[in-house]
Amino acid sequence: METIKNLVNLLSGAAISFLLLSFVFGFVVYFNLMDGNLRTRVGKIFLIIGVLTTLAGFIFAPLFFLGLAYLACLFLLAHLGPKLWDPKVGLIILVTSLVGFALSMFDRDFFLIAAKPDNVPIAAMIFLLGFFTWVALGKAYKNDQQIASGGVPWEKTESDEKLFTWPDLVYTELLCMILITVLMIIWSMALPAPLEEPANPTTSPNPAKAPWYFLGLQEMLVYFDPWLAGVFLPTLIVVGLMAIPYIDTNPKGNGYYSFRERKWEIGVFLYGFLVLWSFLIITGTFLRGPNWNFFGPFEYWDPNKLVPLVNVNLSELIWVKLFGVALPEFWLVREIFGIALVLGYVALPPLMARTVFRRFYLKMGPPRFYVGAMLFLMMLSLPIKMALRWLFNLKYLVAIQEYFFNI
Amino acid sequence: MKPQEPIPHNYRMSTLNKVFALSSLALLALVGAMVMYDYARGWKRFQLEFLRVQRDRITQQLEVARRATGEEQLRALDQRMREGEADIARKRAELREAEDTVREWEGRHYRADQDFRFAKAVLDSLRYEAEVLALRKARGWEGKQQEFREQETRVERLKLVLEDVSASRDAALARRDGILSRIAEIEREKKDLLADVELLEKQLATVDFKRPEFLLLNMPLLDFVSPTLKVEQVVLNDMFVDMNYMVVPRVDRCMTCHKGIDRPGFESREEAQRLIAELEGKLDGFQIAPDRIADTMARIEQLRPIAEARRNLRNPYRTHPRLDMFVGSASPHPLLEYGCTSCHRGLDRATDFARAGHTPSSEEQQKRWEEHYGWKRQPFLESPMHPRQYFEASCIKCHSGEVRVDEADRISEGTQMIELYGCAGCHKIDNWRFQDLRKPGPDLRGIAEKTSPEWTVRWLTNPKDFRATTRMPSFFYLRNMVGPHIGPAERESNEKKQNAEIQAIVAYLFANSTRRGWPEGPSGDPARGAALVDTVGCYGCHVAQETVTDSAGAVRTANRDDFPLERNYGFNLVGTGTKTRSDWLFHWLKNPRNYYQQAPMPDLRLTDQEAADITAWLMSLRKPDFMNMPVAPADRAALSELSRSYMITSMTERETDARLASMTSQQQLVFLGQRTIEKYGCFGCHDIKGFEDAKPIGTELTIEGSKNIHLFDFGFVHDFETESGEHEHVLHTVPSWIYAKVRSPRVFDDQRERGYHDKLKMPNFFFTRNEAEAVTGVVLGLTKDRVAPERIAARTSEARVAQEGRKLVSQNNCRACHVVDGHGGAIAQTVEDPGMLPPDLGPEGSRVQSDWLFAFLKDPTVMALRPWLGARMPTFHFSDGEADKITRYFAADANVPTFETDDGISPHPQSAAVGGIVFDMLRCAQCHPTQAVAATAEADLASLAPNLQLSRERLRHDWVPDWILRPNEIVPGTRMPTNFPRNAETGEYESPLTLAIGSPQFASYRQALLQHFRSEEEMLQALADAPRISHHLRDYIWTIGIRSMPPARDPVEEPPPYTPETPPPAPAPGVQSTSLRVPGGETPGR
Repeated sequence: METIKNLVNLLSGAAISFLLLSFVFGFVVYFNLMDGNLRTRVGKIFLIIGVLTTLAGFIFAPLFFLGLAYLACLFLLAHLGPKLWDPKVGLIILVTSLVGFALSMFDRDFFLIAAKPDNVPIAAMIFLLGFFTWVALGKAYKNDQQIASGGVPWEKTESDEKLFTWPDLVYTELLCMILITVLMIIWSMALPAPLEEPANPTTSPNPAKAPWYFLGLQEMLVYFDPWLAGVFLPTLIVVGLMAIPYIDTNPKGNGYYSFRERKWEIGVFLYGFLVLWSFLIITGTFLRGPNWNFFGPFEYWDPNKLVPLVNVNLSELIWVKLFGVALPEFWLVREIFGIALVLGYVALPPLMARTVFRRFYLKMGPPRFYVGAMLFLMMLSLPIKMALRWLFNLKYLVAIQEYFFNI
Repeated sequence: MKPQEPIPHNYRMSTLNKVFALSSLALLALVGAMVMYDYARGWKRFQLEFLRVQRDRITQQLEVARRATGEEQLRALDQRMREGEADIARKRAELREAEDTVREWEGRHYRADQDFRFAKAVLDSLRYEAEVLALRKARGWEGKQQEFREQETRVERLKLVLEDVSASRDAALARRDGILSRIAEIEREKKDLLADVELLEKQLATVDFKRPEFLLLNMPLLDFVSPTLKVEQVVLNDMFVDMNYMVVPRVDRCMTCHKGIDRPGFESREEAQRLIAELEGKLDGFQIAPDRIADTMARIEQLRPIAEARRNLRNPYRTHPRLDMFVGSASPHPLLEYGCTSCHRGLDRATDFARAGHTPSSEEQQKRWEEHYGWKRQPFLESPMHPRQYFEASCIKCHSGEVRVDEADRISEGTQMIELYGCAGCHKIDNWRFQDLRKPGPDLRGIAEKTSPEWTVRWLTNPKDFRATTRMPSFFYLRNMVGPHIGPAERESNEKKQNAEIQAIVAYLFANSTRRGWPEGPSGDPARGAALVDTVGCYGCHVAQETVTDSAGAVRTANRDDFPLERNYGFNLVGTGTKTRSDWLFHWLKNPRNYYQQAPMPDLRLTDQEAADITAWLMSLRKPDFMNMPVAPADRAALSELSRSYMITSMTERETDARLASMTSQQQLVFLGQRTIEKYGCFGCHDIKGFEDAKPIGTELTIEGSKNIHLFDFGFVHDFETESGEHEHVLHTVPSWIYAKVRSPRVFDDQRERGYHDKLKMPNFFFTRNEAEAVTGVVLGLTKDRVAPERIAARTSEARVAQEGRKLVSQNNCRACHVVDGHGGAIAQTVEDPGMLPPDLGPEGSRVQSDWLFAFLKDPTVMALRPWLGARMPTFHFSDGEADKITRYFAADANVPTFETDDGISPHPQSAAVGGIVFDMLRCAQCHPTQAVAATAEADLASLAPNLQLSRERLRHDWVPDWILRPNEIVPGTRMPTNFPRNAETGEYESPLTLAIGSPQFASYRQALLQHFRSEEEMLQALADAPRISHHLRDYIWTIGIRSMPPARDPVEEPPPYTPETPPPAPAPGVQSTSLRVPGGETPGR
């Protein structure tokens, strides 16, 4: 039992859990496209990534476990194949995870965090998110199969039928209202509002956490300066969400589940929503403890836990470690590599338009493509920065403390 | 039309209906559950239970009342009632006629009354109309006025009619009542007889929780109208809750569950027993006003069943203990003004057991609460209640301006301990009580004159080895240095370092000491010295024994608790010969201020010979074994390692090495000594050269009691053993942490990995449980809580001065010899004859004149009140300001003006003459000398009383007669006889003189007295009047009083026999004198 707990603690470590989820997410997307066949070219690529990651574990220890866990997931998913969308399999997965969760409750440390009235809805959210993602992807898979064999989506056949507003719509809505009310009443009686002491400027709670829906933003503050994580990126999120209808002009997939017809749109959105937003909220809720340290689900939230702060800037890596000289005085010289890297990153879209994303460029036209590519790159900057931090202890790519400008 | 194709439903209707039915039922049930959830509050259970308790109490009282009513009486009344009714039956015709008349006249009266009132109403409106028309000069105003006047006459007439009708009606009523009067009286009697019972029955009805209107008013959903079960609260505008961003008044709702808290009659068994004893004592002592006696007796009767009950009432139903002091409306802390949480803390607005912040005082209580009340620790509550043993802590909030808090002995004791043990030397406490305190340890700037380095090293190693009762705490070789948690290698290194630190401190102190030469005193006789110490009063502050015999008869080492706090004020005299040099000791005894200005020991005005005798005796008190204790010289490696650990903070490694190499070992020792003194904060208690302006090293304690729990480092400690081997458990609460810290200051280092200098530094005072709890209580009371200024005790300027005086009383340990406000008189332990005790200063303020007291404090030789007394009032060398403060304190304490004039107080000769005769009759002169008495007079000196010649200069004019009347009430246990006993019934003073004067042996007095009265009757009347006699006596005493007193000698201090600094004798102390081992038994110094 202890071993399992330790394994879970290890896998939920910051470096592993996030990257693992990103990798697995990638595979699930592919899976939906290619029936999860590992013998195809893309499947082999996924396998190779897993093996390479495991091997890289001999250089960066966390990668070893990451690779192993990834390969395990890979084989499991490949073994299941299309059966993954079978309701029975879904039920088994749901029940297994619920039982695992319930068993975990016997662990005192897990119980303390998961049963906190504040956190109960987040725990429920994990299952709801998983369930609905599974439902949607499963339906999309079936429709895609149907379309591939020359048929029409299931929704198409269904929407041709006619139904009465009463009772088919209104009655069920009424029932939902009643049941939701019942649920809310039970909830409010079983978990009273978790009131705390009056706010005191001299004693801030440890950990000091944002409201749950902002925990993703708070997590971003670990990797970026406040002006980036608190101002620039949130603004981009809002603007980006508003821009979606103007960038995504693909008419397919309207009113029915489909993945293959909108694989990039859905893939990018789900990655942003599930991995970059929801997973960070879950991390912030369950895995971030006192002093904003990372704690496994079965770890005691010890306020005295100390983690060495050994993060370095890119400039230090290059000048001191690589060249073996002191850091140049002048910031522009000192940070020149970082600045070049960032500028290079920002200048990627034209390159993309000419190479791998040429097809998109032609289809979308320059304005749409550049805005979309820019937003996409900005979104990717978060996982990139996170990976750099967890794997290389990289603090900032560009660190111009003189002007309070760090990236 | 084409028939429409039937459209299928998506769901089966019957299923939907079933789901709908079920979910609706579930919702209905849940709404009901929600209402009940909201309705069933914990406090309602307590209120219901309290109603039950009340019902039981009232039923009990009802039984008593019914029994007291007396069946006999009731039966007699019933009999008379029957007779009266029979009588009326006989006069039935007459009664009927009278009743008819009444009815008729009532009707007429009604009409006449109505006519009159209506006419008056019309009159008022006519007056208005007439006035308005007249003002406007409108047409017809004269007519209106006429009309008004006519109405006026009509009203007059109707009034007369009404009066006549009223008279006739009253007559008719009187006639009817006359016939019925006999029964009416019997009914009144019966009602009086049953008044108590009826009242109780009414009360019983109000607490009946089964009657329908009770159920209706408290029904769920209906209880918003006017429930009888409801949240009760008091708003306290003078007591505040600090919400960090704002301060709001407290709103206490505790009485929602603690319903009986301010009602007498729900006491615990113990409290009832205590109260009965107290009230009976007061009744016997005539301390209750005559009009309150009946109430008091009734209260005792009410308490008796409670005191004898088999079942003890539990909380929350109990009455607050000491209602006369707390919560009661007539007490100094009424519920409506002070509430509950201002003292007990906790969440004022809470009505839930756990959220209110109840704090268990023990693990067992915690278990019980968890079981019964669902108690849970409230992690977010910033001020949970104090556990039971620290209830008194909150007194400090308002009473911090007082030296002692009356009725809060634990806090007063803790406060005094903090003063005596010098906590405020290291811990800044921004609180008047702990400011400007004298350093509790001796001045070390002249340590070389007093003792030897060899002794000092051994002393620092463990002071308790030399004196088990010492107040000096242990700094070295404690649990975090050499305890069982420390590995052998680290322990060895720590031991060496500790020794090096001790050697270094000693080296620094002796290198920086003055070396004045003190000439030898004359040679003395130890036996005489011992006798002197016994008589002059040294044992008020000092102890000279190392062992005590406990109750079982076993002899064991004495602890501090074996003696009152006052006797630990001075050091234990045992071992003085081993510690001090005799030349220094002689001059110290002569006048401690010779050595240093702040010396706590007063000047006993010893002659040279007396001082020499005492010196000889003290030098004979030796502890030779102590000096045989092996002490290693400072380990060189440890010494340089420690020295470098300090240097390295301001120098580089290489600089440090160079510097260390350039220093001799002795220089290193002195350097390390200075740093070590700085580290341990020795200057907090001692004056040390070079540390005159050093800041205290400890954590500030000013608001320690308000500090949030997460600021306390509990380390890894849950259970621990104290140094004395007792087991202690640490709860995760602030009180528990402070207690553990006080009890075993370094316990939180247990099992921690810490560098040598990072380890906890607080020394161990080896406090017992009691002592540690007393100190903890005070520390908990130091909070940031605020109350309105008018709630602060002793806030007037007068009271402030008095408290300053009281502080001086405490600091100068006056209570060692005297009883001051009920505490002290520690010297009584060693004085066998109570007649030889120093005076009780309880009534000092009302007793003596302030100018006399002032002069006496400045120089006690101005008046030898009882010259035969062995114990001497020492000369404290008070400044004028200090003597004034003390004088004003006593006056304020007795609530009398400080200064009074005795102008115009020239006793009437006749009054004085009568007083003189009574003085003889009562044989006052048997004890009270009326002329100077030599200390060597042959009489039984111990039985003598103060010389009355000195009274006029010393005593207050109003006090003397009061004292003559009731000496035993003013100073319980006084030897002054009570000449005028009180009447047991009325409490009046009775004079035995009226009876005595008739007996033949007082014939001569009778003759003498008669000359001063016009008649025998008048004389007898005067003699029976005890207060008057006391005034005569006073007048007589005034006439024999001397009128001059030698002026207070300004205490001219003997110039200290200071000789220029002499070069240090012998080689400098420290490691250089390679061995500190002293040959067995040899004393340092001479």
